[in-house]
Amino acid sequence: MKPPSRRNLLHSFTGTALASLLHGEALSARNPLAPKPPHHPAKARAVIQIFCPGGLSHVDSWDYKPELTKRQGKPFDAEGKLQFFASKPGNCQQGWWPFRQHGACGRWISDLFPRLAGLVDDMAFIHSMQSKSALHGPAMFMANSGFILPGFPSMGSWVTYGLGSSSADLPAFVVLPDPRGLPPGGVINWGAGFLPAVHQGTTLNTDPARPPIDDLFPQDEFAHLKGDAERQSREFLQTLNRTHAASRQTNTELEARIAAYALAARLQLSAPEATDLRGESEGTRKLYRLEHPDIGPFGRQCLLARRLVERGVRFVQIYCGAENTTAKKVRPNWDSHEDLVRDHGYWGQILDSGAAALLTDLKSRGLLDGTLVICTTEFGRQPAAQGAGKGRDHNPGAFTAWMAGGGVKGGTAHGHTDDLGFKAAEKPLFCYDLHATALHLLGLDHEKLTFYNNGINRRLTDVHGHVIKDIIS
Amino acid sequence: MRHLVIWFLVATSAAADFERDIRPLLQEHCVECHGPRKQKGGLRLDAKPFAFKGGTDGSAIVAGRPSQSLLYQRISSRDDDERMPPHGPGLTPTQIAAVGSWIESGAIWPENDADRAAAVDPRRRHWSVQPLKPVPTLASSLGLTPQQLSVDAFISAKLQEHHLVPAPEADRRTLIRRLSFDLHGLPPSPERVAQFLQDPRPDAWELLVDEFLASPHYGERWARHWLDIAHYADTHGFERDQLRPNAWRYRDYVIDSLNADKPYDQFIREQIAGDVLAPTDPKCVIATGFLAAGPWDFVGQVETRSEMLRRAARAGDLDDMVTQVITATMGLTINCARCHDHKLDPITQAEYYSLWAVFAGVKRGDREVDPAETRRLTETKRTLNEDLTRKRALITKLAGEGVQIAKLIPDESGIDLRDGSVTKKKSGYHKDLTPNHKVSVPAIAAFQAVFVPDGPAPIPKTNGHFWDAIANRPLNGQKSTRLGDTDYAGAGHSMLAMHANSGLTLDLPILREQFGLKAMRLTGHLGFGASPEAASSLADFTVLVDGEVKFQRLKLRKDENALLDVPVPENARSLTLITTDGGDGLNSDLLFLGDPKLVAASGQTHPSPADSALLSQLRTESQQIEAQLTSQPEPPKVYAIVPGGETPVVKVLRRGNPEDEAEQVSPGAFAWAGHATASFGDPSTPESQRRLALARWITHPDNPLTARVIVNRLWHHHFGQGLVNTPSDFGIGGDQPSHPDLLDFLARDLIGGGWSLMRIHRQILTSQTYRQSSGGSNPTDTANRLLSRQNPRRIDAESLRDAVLLVSGNLNSERGGPGFKDFNYTEAYAPVYDYITPDQPGLWKRSIYRFVVRTTPHRFMTTLDCPDPANLTPARNQTTTALQALTLSNNGFMLRQAKSLASRIERETPQLPARIDRAFQLCFQRPPSPAERQAAQILVLEQGLFPLCRMLLNANEFVYLD
Repeated sequence: MKPPSRRNLLHSFTGTALASLLHGEALSARNPLAPKPPHHPAKARAVIQIFCPGGLSHVDSWDYKPELTKRQGKPFDAEGKLQFFASKPGNCQQGWWPFRQHGACGRWISDLFPRLAGLVDDMAFIHSMQSKSALHGPAMFMANSGFILPGFPSMGSWVTYGLGSSSADLPAFVVLPDPRGLPPGGVINWGAGFLPAVHQGTTLNTDPARPPIDDLFPQDEFAHLKGDAERQSREFLQTLNRTHAASRQTNTELEARIAAYALAARLQLSAPEATDLRGESEGTRKLYRLEHPDIGPFGRQCLLARRLVERGVRFVQIYCGAENTTAKKVRPNWDSHEDLVRDHGYWGQILDSGAAALLTDLKSRGLLDGTLVICTTEFGRQPAAQGAGKGRDHNPGAFTAWMAGGGVKGGTAHGHTDDLGFKAAEKPLFCYDLHATALHLLGLDHEKLTFYNNGINRRLTDVHGHVIKDIIS
Repeated sequence: MRHLVIWFLVATSAAADFERDIRPLLQEHCVECHGPRKQKGGLRLDAKPFAFKGGTDGSAIVAGRPSQSLLYQRISSRDDDERMPPHGPGLTPTQIAAVGSWIESGAIWPENDADRAAAVDPRRRHWSVQPLKPVPTLASSLGLTPQQLSVDAFISAKLQEHHLVPAPEADRRTLIRRLSFDLHGLPPSPERVAQFLQDPRPDAWELLVDEFLASPHYGERWARHWLDIAHYADTHGFERDQLRPNAWRYRDYVIDSLNADKPYDQFIREQIAGDVLAPTDPKCVIATGFLAAGPWDFVGQVETRSEMLRRAARAGDLDDMVTQVITATMGLTINCARCHDHKLDPITQAEYYSLWAVFAGVKRGDREVDPAETRRLTETKRTLNEDLTRKRALITKLAGEGVQIAKLIPDESGIDLRDGSVTKKKSGYHKDLTPNHKVSVPAIAAFQAVFVPDGPAPIPKTNGHFWDAIANRPLNGQKSTRLGDTDYAGAGHSMLAMHANSGLTLDLPILREQFGLKAMRLTGHLGFGASPEAASSLADFTVLVDGEVKFQRLKLRKDENALLDVPVPENARSLTLITTDGGDGLNSDLLFLGDPKLVAASGQTHPSPADSALLSQLRTESQQIEAQLTSQPEPPKVYAIVPGGETPVVKVLRRGNPEDEAEQVSPGAFAWAGHATASFGDPSTPESQRRLALARWITHPDNPLTARVIVNRLWHHHFGQGLVNTPSDFGIGGDQPSHPDLLDFLARDLIGGGWSLMRIHRQILTSQTYRQSSGGSNPTDTANRLLSRQNPRRIDAESLRDAVLLVSGNLNSERGGPGFKDFNYTEAYAPVYDYITPDQPGLWKRSIYRFVVRTTPHRFMTTLDCPDPANLTPARNQTTTALQALTLSNNGFMLRQAKSLASRIERETPQLPARIDRAFQLCFQRPPSPAERQAAQILVLEQGLFPLCRMLLNANEFVYLD
């Protein structure tokens, strides 16, 4: 090897070797995130999933139950046979907000969600969702991975495993946790389980004061490592790695690792650009109500999601709520055991504002058709009051999820609960069916998307799941 | 009408011919869903034995009785939901009639080849469940004597068969680096490399292997592989991911067992039933930590009030235990049989539940590892505490200083409101206590009772919840111990912490007797243990004397405090202190009293000179006892299994549903195994005997799987892939062995060598196969299954972290003990784990000693493919990502260690050219090439040594092994 001078190094760095790296040629052969063809033509290119941890009450929001209103105050379980997660049921409790019909489809939506109510003709509701667990941890895992145990890959991981990335310089699966903290079960909610780690969700810091991705740049006393000096270090590393690889040409992993450093350098440019909201118009900032102290942070998450999808990110998951802590003034998520009006009232305006802004914004930019928006929770809440109080206990027997955009037929609904909203009555479904439908819209057959692990070809949908045909266009 | 027609046809048509009429009909209309691919309803109609066995709904064919045959019932049903086949118009009346008349006339099904083949379960013919081949057979198939057998003999035979030649031996620097990472997870020191390069002894390599196996680093490295299989972590996981402060003793057990080369069969037996085999041997009790190593859901097991949810959580718990044991030891994926008979492997659903019955009598929990030692420690502490209390009482009496209420509680302890016990544990959040239920405190005579208050007026109503304990230390999560200018945790002060909602009643007659007091005053400083700037929170404080309110502050704010001075008359019998939540929930209600005292109402009396001398002596003695108490260790515990009470009955659960029980099962294992009886007793067999029987059954020398599975695991880690490439799946769905005879040879050698794992390591490591170069590739064997070269490998997350610390000179080689916590921990309903940049020696221990958190995995480690400890991980994934590049170049840990490396080199090596050489030697165990030296020199001259060190730690050569 001829000793390279500083100038030579610079030259080679900016020359053809680097150019080919930047275009990912060396990487494509082994790159697990290289785009893969779908199983069938896709209707959605990307997914934005809004997750409302804690248990969003369907009977106070999306699921209109006039019979429950009629039985207001009457015993729910006169014989006293039922035992919920934390309590014995109290009396029937009608929805805390009045319901009205909205849109051309005439869907009944409660006053908790005035903005979203104006968009019902774009939304498809699944009223007969159920979960296999009434506990936050297992139910969160189930909603995200199809299994009530930890350790299974999340939907976002499966999607990137199945389709690869469509962004050359941003991660394929990005998660925006609530700025108040992580949801129940922690970061493994977006883990890759037994899939290769490259498929795990990348957490984007939602606090604008921090760099968007951890370790994107050196911090603290090393913050000066940038510019020319940094470039010189990188060039030296390239020299070392090139020399090393030259005598080991059959080990293709070495090239892949060299390319990963080049991709990291691109990420240092693309991630700050994607998360810099300064270029957004005043109208957009108002739409997402970024300045509002309570509503603004979630608006920011939604706006970031739109920007990421615009830049080719495949799967964005937004959390609207954090982990449970003991009795704060307002619960840090939707888990409204003691005071539903207080907690759902607080979180309702946040979700309503952010999600409605997101749908409106995506639509006006022509992005909604190719973006599947999903809004889910891990389970619903009981139609009875929790004991003698003003809250509701967990209800794994019924909850509502909705989808919009990305091949979804707006203004439709699938399945329903019994008269009181206690259990899914018609066409009961689990997350398997929601997952199968989302994968279908992305061009993936949920029965064909498999990965071998400890004796079994695992699927996101286990051995279950049917595509919900009547809500797709 | 249709039915009448069919009946008419059945009655009138001639008996159908099976081969002509029925078999084709079944093939065409039924087998798609009821055949080898799918078995809807558990039914197969593609071969005779299955068809007559029926499905989960009952008999498909009852000869002579169409009306009792589900096959006939379903094809002739008029109900669209019932009728088969489910899609299309259904069978024609003629076809239905043919089936009917065939059954009517005796359902004669002549056997063809397919029927006969189906009668023999192919699963029992699977290679891995066959006995190990005898050594002479293995030898003669290679044309060798048993003494001539070796790893190389088997490998070269296959290579010759495929006209391949082995790669030449790698150079010594490559070899020692490979061996060092392989056995120690660390790079060799440049000095050791130099020594090996010059070692003239013909058996230099063999001696090096022996030396490396004898190092304690061997156990630290290989325990990681076993803990991956055991899905070990130091927290519970799930929603409330609480700490397991005693789990580490099991981790140390694994390390120590491997270093001692404990026979593998004994190692397994101890981990399943060590407490039964040797109940008084702490090591054997600790070994059962294996069974409890996996995740556990506190909310589902304990917190919920729903029995149904508890049953579901317990089902998950038992599944985790049996899956871990059988997968780790025998490489069978038995959890597939939880809902139905295993589709691939010879495991029925009933057998799966008979394994549940083995473990049904144990639960996970903290367990004393040495009951005798615990008794001794408890007794010592009790005596010391009694002595201390006596002396303090005497001091109070003599000095007339009054009673320090907080000091009545043993140091650093609290009273658990659930049972009145005195404990150092932080007991967390509870909401299931009966309000105003008085619990006595036997350990502290002057404390009559503790309770959770809830009214009646004038005591405020509360939400009935409480947090932690009544303690003489800061509460769990307490942010401040200061009120005004005084730090009450400081020397010369005391504090009584009472998080809302809690109540404490003092027995005044006992106090008076102990401390010689009459009329008293209660004094103290009341406030919040939170920073005043924190969000608003309110709490109340009430003092009652003989049930009458004598002091009350309602809705005290965080930034407020109050001074107490409450008279306590001479005849009063009880004094009660109550904190309540101010009506806004109990979050942040960390109330405490600074220097709470009961002082004589009449003012202080001055002790006589004689008393003064005695006082000073008593004070010295008290301090000595206090020091003794502080130095007393906690009784050693381990997070393991705890046998509890009667062993519950275990029943088969239909489709794995805990609410749908079928027949009862007895403890046992798999019937296919011929090596020993697979029945471990009946429902009356004690749980200890069940586990012991399973442990012996698994480690029986004739069990073909146990030895095969472990030697393959060793092979896997030495070559980057196993002889069987699915190390935890030796079932029909798993990989076929590339060298079945070699696998059997190693398995036989393991058993014959007294189950010594080190012997197998030596067999493998001293082979020419292991020592080959990893260069080149073979187009006819791209996956290198035949091993015509070594496999290049990348080091894993733990090895990388440890290697960085070693070369930077910071690795803390202290072994064993509680895991180091490189995070800030905040107690909460779900605790918060915030990782920090490890910047002190306590956090620079080897990664095996890391405190592993389940719900918040260490991002640095996870990015480098460290697996989620929810999973049983026999082989790690390896990915190459941009996030890894960012983490290794910019993470604070990497940068600080690179800086340490630079200072170390500057310290050790005075001159620049030598410094560059030293950096390469430390990181790559070789000098730089002239070109590399020159490039490095430019970098160092312009920017210093740090960027060079940083980039060496990022280089491919640092993380790849040839």
